[in-house]
Amino acid sequence: MFDQFATAEPDEAVKLALRRLDEAKARGEGSNLEGVELNEVVVNMGPQHPSTHGVLRLVCTLDGELIKDVIPVIGYLHRSKEKLAEKRTYFQYIPIVDRTEYLASINCEWGYVLAVEKLMGITPPRRAEFIRVISGELMRIASHLVAVGTFVADLSPLGTAMGFYTFRDRELVLDLLESLTGARMMFNYFRFGGVRYDLPDGWIEKCRLFLKKMPKLVDEYEALCSDNAVFLQRTMGKGVITQQDVMDYGITGPNARASGVALDLRRNKPYSVYPELDFEVVVETHGDVFDRYLCRLREMRECVKIVEQCLDMLPNGPFQTGSLRAPYIIAPPPGAVYVGQENPRGEYGTYIESDGSRYPYRLKFRDPCFCNLQLFPKLLTGIKIADAIAVSGSIDLVLGGIDR
Amino acid sequence: MTDIILAVLRALLFVVIAYSVLMLAALVNILLERRALAVMQDRLGPNRTGWQGTLQSVADAFKMMGKEDFRPALADPVLFTLAPIIVMIGAVGVQLVLPYTNGLTGASLDIGLIFLVAITGFTTLAILVGGWASRNKFSLVGALRSAAQMISYEIPMILGLLVVAMVVGSLNVNVVVAAQAHYQWIAFYAPFTFLIFYIASIAELNRGPFDLPEGESELVAGYVTEYSGMRFGMFYLNEYGGLTVMSMVAVTLFFGGWQGPFSNAIVFWNVSWIGIVYFLIKTYILVFCLIWIRLSIPRLQVDQLMGFAWKVLIPLGLVNILCTAAIMLWAPHWKIAMAVFSWVALIAFIGLFDPILKRRLRKQRERQPVVNV
Repeated sequence: MFDQFATAEPDEAVKLALRRLDEAKARGEGSNLEGVELNEVVVNMGPQHPSTHGVLRLVCTLDGELIKDVIPVIGYLHRSKEKLAEKRTYFQYIPIVDRTEYLASINCEWGYVLAVEKLMGITPPRRAEFIRVISGELMRIASHLVAVGTFVADLSPLGTAMGFYTFRDRELVLDLLESLTGARMMFNYFRFGGVRYDLPDGWIEKCRLFLKKMPKLVDEYEALCSDNAVFLQRTMGKGVITQQDVMDYGITGPNARASGVALDLRRNKPYSVYPELDFEVVVETHGDVFDRYLCRLREMRECVKIVEQCLDMLPNGPFQTGSLRAPYIIAPPPGAVYVGQENPRGEYGTYIESDGSRYPYRLKFRDPCFCNLQLFPKLLTGIKIADAIAVSGSIDLVLGGIDR
Repeated sequence: MTDIILAVLRALLFVVIAYSVLMLAALVNILLERRALAVMQDRLGPNRTGWQGTLQSVADAFKMMGKEDFRPALADPVLFTLAPIIVMIGAVGVQLVLPYTNGLTGASLDIGLIFLVAITGFTTLAILVGGWASRNKFSLVGALRSAAQMISYEIPMILGLLVVAMVVGSLNVNVVVAAQAHYQWIAFYAPFTFLIFYIASIAELNRGPFDLPEGESELVAGYVTEYSGMRFGMFYLNEYGGLTVMSMVAVTLFFGGWQGPFSNAIVFWNVSWIGIVYFLIKTYILVFCLIWIRLSIPRLQVDQLMGFAWKVLIPLGLVNILCTAAIMLWAPHWKIAMAVFSWVALIAFIGLFDPILKRRLRKQRERQPVVNV
């Protein structure tokens, strides 16, 4: 069946899929469908498929509607960001960190800045810490809005208005961040030992207005989807991540917390002012697609709580260390650090090795999406195409982070 | 001799009218859906072309005609060209037996209901041919889904139509309409039958929660993946024109067709013209319902779709037929008895199906104990 459709020479991934198919046949494993001798088709889902967000490519072996084998292919968004760090000063590299996990760029910057600060031994002033928490949590809301919206849109683009509503409400967050940082997507806002700008006049009131609105918006999403029988049918009991999987594959973030693993670096390895803040680590227990969706919705409510507390507790004082401007050129002492930081998608680790010069000797990111992607072959094998779309949407990948 | 010429002319006139109805309906429905979508999704929708975007679908149609007539190198040339042509047969042919108003029917066939069911199958045939001829795996899967869906949902649809035939005692669509005079619309005393028919007809249209053959998030665009330009336009126009045609069928069989207050007031050329207005109003209420359903329910999955047809709709349809037959045989005022039965069944179905389904779904999930790291 494959040859009949082939228009071009198969590439490595397709060849691997075909080889595995032949091996399965040699072992005597046939089609799962009764009365059918051979029914397998190798299909490329992506890199231009509508539901593999970004440019993820999945080479699927289909048996009718069943998926028998999945080979994820990455690298279509590779921009060698880690290598670029070796030819740029620490300061010059901040905007490039934005481009790794671009839906949560502020959190990525935070991870990088935390690592450099640890290397240098800088402690930012208290006001800067609060501003960082505020912007980071707002970004988390925006990121979860995209995750939930695109996931529901994957189930059926026009089936509910959810995708449109979440993107409409994400604008509110982006407007706030825009008036704070001057950008909407690639912020370049964090500095070593502080942030770039202080909160503008009237920003706190605007933010409070939004925080008042946000829980109602989440209620609206829940009313749209959480009690919709068809939505429940598509999501409940599908793509279960067991706690063993979480341990084996290093799953972090909402995906792990939906499986009942209360792993949140804001609590487990607290950084910044998180120990002073009162918030709940959202945990769901079933680990299926529905729980991952629910986990994100509930986390948005927690983010609102955190930002509210930060606005209440916001101290006066400088927002950068030392002189008026943060240091442009720094040369940290030789050594290596690893700092894990809780991104919307999980643990975003930054490893920096310094040889004492103005450029990092080596820089490496531990991206949560990359670890979550490893689970794909295990999760998607043996389920239907439609389920696979729901599962991959609920894992919430950002290819900028995976390919780096 | 004149008889034959008249018959040919009559047939040509019918084809022209039926095609025009389909095309006009498609243009109107596309705009209607896009604007309704926009309102429900909190955005504006097309409002630039013409007054309030009224010319948008016309502009789109011209754009499609101007596009390159492209055919993939490995596609089957004959079938690939044939599919967009035969896709219209279903929606045009159905209109042959539908009375637009009193006295305006293509042909008053005595086997009207059977003809109606038979001719709608052509749409699926075209989808199957098109999907196969495209030589694209996504198209093929979409086409096979469409075929499986048609086979499954044709049955509950026929079971619904059977009740209509039993109640009316004729397969002639004109007789069905006449039997619903004095506001004794079949939907009033057999709403449960209408529900079964309506769900099945949505599936027949490949619409709403049942748009699996297209499945844009899974199968790229399903059976139309390789089609572009006007060939794609034919599929598209048929899909949207089909909304109106299927609603016309539902109105004719369940909502008294063209009948309404004073519908026979203005009659010339043996045609009561006000009936058309009533027919259109009723049709467009149902079309709007179809759009509304599409926008509020996510897509089902293939196995759930089949399960819903075979495990829920068909048994319910059979029970419905049995009960209708029993009531018609033994109950003294059978219309009242049937109304009671059907409304109770409808409310029970709506009230019970949803909670039972959700409970089953919640039960099958396994809890994992919370681990603190």
